[in-house]
Amino acid sequence: MAERSSTMKTPLNKALAQRRSKRRYSRRSCGEGTYLGYTSGRQTVLKIPTSRKKPKSRDITNQVDPDQVALLVKKEWHLSYVTPLYQFRYTMLKTYSKELSAFLVSEKQQGQTIETGQELCFKVNISVVLGLAETNQDAETIYIQILSKQVFAAKDEAQKVVWSGLLTCINGDVDYLRSLPPEFVSLPLLCTSGPESLSALVKSWLKKTFDCCFGPICITSTNLQWLAALWTGCHPTKNIQYLKLAWTIPTQPPMDVTYKVNPQDVWKLWDSARLDDGAEDSINIEEVNSFIRGLQTHFFRHFRLDLSAGSLMRVSTALGSAHHSGKIKITSPDYMTTVLQLLTECALLKMPI
Amino acid sequence: MAKAFNLLTSDLDVSSESDLSVSSRASNRSLRVAEKERRKSEAEDPFLLALKYFSEVKAGTPWMGNDVLERNLVLVERMGLTRGLPPEVISTMLDYAMSLRMGAPCVRVLKFLIPATVVPQEAIVRAVAWLCVGKIAISTQVLFLKWVLTFFDMIDSKDHLRSIYGFIFNFVTEEHLCPYICHLLYLLTRKDMLHQRSFIFSLSPQGRQPFLLHLLSLYKVFCPELVTTALPSKLRGGFKNHVTPWKGVLNAIQKRNTGQVTSDIRLTIGVKDGSNSRKRKCNHLQLPSLNSAVQRNLSSTNSRKVFPLEQLHSFPELLDNLHRIELPSQMGSLLGSSLALCYLDYVQDDSAFLRLNFWLGHALHEGKKASPYAQNCVLPVSTCQNCSPLCLFYAYVLSRAPQEGFFSTESFLYKFLNVWDGSLLRPQILGLLSHIPVVPSSCIHQLLFEPLMQLFFSSTLFFKCSVIECLNDMLLKWLTWHSVYSVEDGLDISLNSHTPMNMTLSGFMDSVMELVLFVGRLATVGLQLEGCSSLLLSFVLDFYETVCDMFLKFELPLVVMPPVGVFYPALFATDPVSVDRLCFIMCRYKQNLTAAKFQQQEHVFHISSQTYREFNRYQLLMVSTLWNSRLFQPGMAVEVDHNLLALSKVPEPSASFTLIRHPAFVGYALDFHLKAGKHWEWYLEFLFSHGYLGLQQFVQSNINWHPGSGTKSQGQGDGQPTNG
Repeated sequence: MAERSSTMKTPLNKALAQRRSKRRYSRRSCGEGTYLGYTSGRQTVLKIPTSRKKPKSRDITNQVDPDQVALLVKKEWHLSYVTPLYQFRYTMLKTYSKELSAFLVSEKQQGQTIETGQELCFKVNISVVLGLAETNQDAETIYIQILSKQVFAAKDEAQKVVWSGLLTCINGDVDYLRSLPPEFVSLPLLCTSGPESLSALVKSWLKKTFDCCFGPICITSTNLQWLAALWTGCHPTKNIQYLKLAWTIPTQPPMDVTYKVNPQDVWKLWDSARLDDGAEDSINIEEVNSFIRGLQTHFFRHFRLDLSAGSLMRVSTALGSAHHSGKIKITSPDYMTTVLQLLTECALLKMPI
Repeated sequence: MAKAFNLLTSDLDVSSESDLSVSSRASNRSLRVAEKERRKSEAEDPFLLALKYFSEVKAGTPWMGNDVLERNLVLVERMGLTRGLPPEVISTMLDYAMSLRMGAPCVRVLKFLIPATVVPQEAIVRAVAWLCVGKIAISTQVLFLKWVLTFFDMIDSKDHLRSIYGFIFNFVTEEHLCPYICHLLYLLTRKDMLHQRSFIFSLSPQGRQPFLLHLLSLYKVFCPELVTTALPSKLRGGFKNHVTPWKGVLNAIQKRNTGQVTSDIRLTIGVKDGSNSRKRKCNHLQLPSLNSAVQRNLSSTNSRKVFPLEQLHSFPELLDNLHRIELPSQMGSLLGSSLALCYLDYVQDDSAFLRLNFWLGHALHEGKKASPYAQNCVLPVSTCQNCSPLCLFYAYVLSRAPQEGFFSTESFLYKFLNVWDGSLLRPQILGLLSHIPVVPSSCIHQLLFEPLMQLFFSSTLFFKCSVIECLNDMLLKWLTWHSVYSVEDGLDISLNSHTPMNMTLSGFMDSVMELVLFVGRLATVGLQLEGCSSLLLSFVLDFYETVCDMFLKFELPLVVMPPVGVFYPALFATDPVSVDRLCFIMCRYKQNLTAAKFQQQEHVFHISSQTYREFNRYQLLMVSTLWNSRLFQPGMAVEVDHNLLALSKVPEPSASFTLIRHPAFVGYALDFHLKAGKHWEWYLEFLFSHGYLGLQQFVQSNINWHPGSGTKSQGQGDGQPTNG
């Protein structure tokens, strides 16, 4: 530094220094500026929402093929998150189906040194469920179905569905989806139903083909509380029949508490928890909290047991059920999008980037 | 029985014998001493003692409530489960267990019999002999056979085992043992052995279980005339891969043992081969194999030849094919090959980086969950076989360190910071963090500061220090980039033309400003929380040593003064080093500000007058505190009510932080006083001679001090740049 300030005094160097700085600052004035190593990373940080839209009963059978809807409901889905799929093309679903079935067969045969008598053959259907997406940024949902058949089965023998899966994105965070380069298709939520071994195979095929990663989703207590509130809110239009909540209290040994409430009562409680000043069609986290607190206080009054010390493990109504470990069952198609939206959010929050 | 033990102790015996021969002329006394020594060293090694116990223990010794047994068992068990057992010990313990000398512990012994290197076949031969005695419970026999099958490949040679083939074969009739015996026989059978056998025929009525059929089919292959039964041409399944308790431990031990030898972490990352793709459990822990992307969209007319990365073996090849290399279908696989990483650095493909980011983030996330105990792993990589994604990650980072490619894969870090507990792989994560490129000031808070702040305030002193250090590194790197890229005009375009976001100088300055202010806040609160710990203060001063020189060293027209929360703790610190460094920092600030003021008249940049004022205030305060004994006087930065000062009953409060009375220097003052008396200038020389160069610089540049005058009252703040 000392050298520098001394050399500054010699006119030649000074002029040089001046020229340098001129160049630099003139560039700033042109609006270019210094280049710094920087990538198009995801600069958006997703936040846990504090308010949601009130669930609308939406007859999705108007937009979605009823047969496809029938496939989606009344199954217990295991949830995982998926990082965006690289170079996924909706036009190539047929090719993907063939590749996946070939992959399944080759994987099943692997490790069998000696051929077994009965040979399995898989038929894979990959299809688009059109109409489920809510916004323009949402990619259309993909439905994967795996049927097994014997090679020499009789023609009339029905093929058995052994596995089904759903890749979906409902109302995903718009900023996040926009920030992805066009080569990526984001379908952050994977629901699978069927044997674990097949799920693993399908996942490894997806990994290989679209360079994505998978991880499990746990539905946190907060999200389960949201679900409880959202489902309860549906009661006036669709009878929920009951609200069943299961808590685990961390005692030694752990205690499970199942709490089933009459739909009328729980609706009244929910209605009283709703704040007046809040907008009519949105629900606040405070409202959800006070609703759950109401349930817990009631329980405490009767059993002297504070449920808030434990964690909510399971919520179920006639509309569906959800478990902490990332299992969900949707029984009524009417409010399906609400639930899927919440799960999409969970998946996006879980995503490594 | 005692043979194994003899093996172990024979060295000792030999040495003592040689001792004898050498020292034959020595007196009896020294002999006795040597003998004693030997006994002692033997007695001192509890492991040897334990073995001795097991080889010598009498049959029928009770095991219930036998403390000696328990202690020795635990000793060998621990050794077995952590490092594996040497062959002699295997032999001793197996013999002890199978002979059922003490009954019950047999199963327990078998469970920890993990060989470190090989299993001596004699031990197995002897154990089979015990099996023939038939006292052992069936379940234990099964366990033993499983043990043999698990470690079959580690048996040093099998010829003696083959010579008791017939004995082993006899167990085929035992219903429960049959599957395992068949498997063992299957492994042992050689073609030439079968010609001497005549018992093959007795097998056929035994039912058609797959394991029997397998063995038979092997016999039939070797000697078709011996097996008369018709065998199905297609057999289902192989021998079952039995779940055994040893495999995990064995893997761990082997990994550790080999890892110690070849812990070249750089690229020991195994590329996953297809055969273990079924082990789903740890699938994500492994690198995918390097497969080229399927070229679906490539029409046949497109004849451009592509060069798959997996065929790349040398750097010249890379250079030759640079323009026609295609990226693999799974970006994670790139980490397995340093050549591929070189290529990635070259292409600078955004979506490739993003894919890699997803993969890394995923590996880090899932790895964190998969191995909660990985927190204790301070990483020699060999020890943490279960946290391999982390090791892998670490290896990746190490391999990245000299290259710049990593800078493009930082985005997963932002997300990871939110879930980081602050202890997992701390040095690595902070190291990575210090490498991130400049974050725009608009999102720096959300991405970086908020998660860091939470971690900072809730962690230990050492974490706080490492965070400050990391932020210092980060700032240094940003400033270096700035000084490189803003001067060398030609370079930046070629290197970074791919970046979608170019930062303007003012944008860059905003980010740096944010960072410096943020560290100021962190340091202020951190110092309060930690009671002005000298350690933390030292890291904070490191940071400000970088900050104070931004203008002269890095040509960044920005000067930011430290907040009061840093300045006062440093000025009133109890250790002289901090005060000294503060003096040095203030001198640098002065030089920077003077230079800036000088250049400011010619250029467009502008340093706020507020900064000058702040500097002047600090400078004045320092001079009047350390030199002029005018602390607490009206008009100074620190004003305390007189009555309050009087209450403290400190004589001459305003002089209580001069160089003589300052708590940091009072030790020196006393020392000096005892040695040399009361000469002020000598005292200063004395201080400077102790290496307080910052202080020296400060005194020389700010204080009109004439060494000849001999009084300190002449000191006067001077040369403070004022805003013109």
